[in-house]
Amino acid sequence: MATEVQQPTAGEGKDDLLRKVDEKELKPVHVWPNLVSIELIGALTITLFLSIMAIFVRAPFYRMADPELTPNPSKAPWYFLGLQELLLHMHPALAGVVVPTAVLVLLGAIPYIDRSKKGTGIWFYSKKGVPIAIFSAIYTTIWNLGLILVDEYLPAGGANGIAPWLKMHGFSDVFAEIFVPIFFMTLIPFSLWVIVKRRWQADMRECMIAMYSFFLASFIVLTIIGTAFRGEGMALSWPWDIPYPPHGKE
Amino acid sequence: MSSIWKWITSSRLWKSIYRNPYPRDKRTRAMVILNSLALHLHPVRVPKRATRLTYTWGLGGLATWTFVLLTLTGVFLMWYYIPTTQDAYWTIVQLETGVTFGAFLRNMHRWAAHAMVLAVLAHMTRVFYTGAYKPPRDFNWVIGVALLLVTCLLSFSGYLLPWDQLAYWAIAVGMEMGGATPFIGKQVRMALLGGFEIGQQTLIRWYTLHVIFLPLAAILLMATHFWRVRKDGNISTPVYEDDDEETLRAVETRRRQQLAE
Repeated sequence: MATEVQQPTAGEGKDDLLRKVDEKELKPVHVWPNLVSIELIGALTITLFLSIMAIFVRAPFYRMADPELTPNPSKAPWYFLGLQELLLHMHPALAGVVVPTAVLVLLGAIPYIDRSKKGTGIWFYSKKGVPIAIFSAIYTTIWNLGLILVDEYLPAGGANGIAPWLKMHGFSDVFAEIFVPIFFMTLIPFSLWVIVKRRWQADMRECMIAMYSFFLASFIVLTIIGTAFRGEGMALSWPWDIPYPPHGKE
Repeated sequence: MSSIWKWITSSRLWKSIYRNPYPRDKRTRAMVILNSLALHLHPVRVPKRATRLTYTWGLGGLATWTFVLLTLTGVFLMWYYIPTTQDAYWTIVQLETGVTFGAFLRNMHRWAAHAMVLAVLAHMTRVFYTGAYKPPRDFNWVIGVALLLVTCLLSFSGYLLPWDQLAYWAIAVGMEMGGATPFIGKQVRMALLGGFEIGQQTLIRWYTLHVIFLPLAAILLMATHFWRVRKDGNISTPVYEDDDEETLRAVETRRRQQLAE
């Protein structure tokens, strides 16, 4: 779907240029009926889909809230399970507050870092856009899965994980639970930036594609792990081994 | 049949509502957009590429429409729901077993809420990969990020209301996270819970946020978001930033010619 930016070169005639404007489908069409029809079909389709789903799939509803009966595992809704997954690997202040705040601030900052207008309105910007996005997603996924596995199975005395291992070797809690996670969360995007810059001679927009792909892949991987691969005691488990509903039969 | 239709559309009542004839030509197709409250969010005309499904996937529109569905089903749920720890759970039981379409509309509200979170995330991803956040649309992207946050908070605040095990313990996990805020953790926890543990005060706080404050915040942000789309030059189209002034002028002239056609 990537379309190369067709920058008219010097010496091209005005007619060539105007033809390119036409080819880019910039010619205006009436919103009625060209766009409103698509919007109507979209709204009807999603309404129909949700209606069918509402008929056949019941929204979850369990026994009444009981502060004495803690389900195992206790989970937040799916869009927060990425954060809940982070909670297993670092200090709660970092996972629950600092990381989500930083993610929102950095997302908001994207257009103030990548200021150039070049590439507006073009899927994946350039021929390099798709390979960079795919590479970034794979690179991020490998890092995420690797760190999750190491943190789950690295033996450290009675416990498992990187933080207990560091503490066993005399490092402080702050170092193990705050500095080391921050180090990895910075290392992955930073190393990705450097690789993309060297391998593809990426410009700012292409580096931004790498960074967003890092965010998106991390969100998806952590959410899937948190949702489908965390069972009793939030230990790694296969989806079919996770107790459901988590507090036993109704 | 057609004579009845003609009689209706030529009546004084019909004409007082719809001032234009059915849009069939250039003039009436413009008028229908300009004279309609809902449609005038659009420009009269858009570049051809903006109508291509594979450019936008209609995701912003779908997010908006799920919000409308959530408002409609949500009002219905409010007729039956009582936000007290004694009654909340039983009003849902009553709604599911004793109210016509009760279970259907509750299910719809739940699935539409998930759909809205997904649609907003997908819309943000579409806008990012098409470079549609670039100036002059930079601030509108920031409003979009705020809308993502409000959407998640809307969904999360609704999660507690059924007062079942799933609701209670999901919120307990959330509070554990909020309570870990550096320096002001205790205060954040107190503000979110309205006390020391999840109880009546928590339920009424989250209910109020869910049915009044957050929807109003979302509506205000959405209105600004849509308004900015128009003010920032409508839907994103490729720019020719690197070209010299003469070329830029030629492109601009051509676009004006086309608009005048």
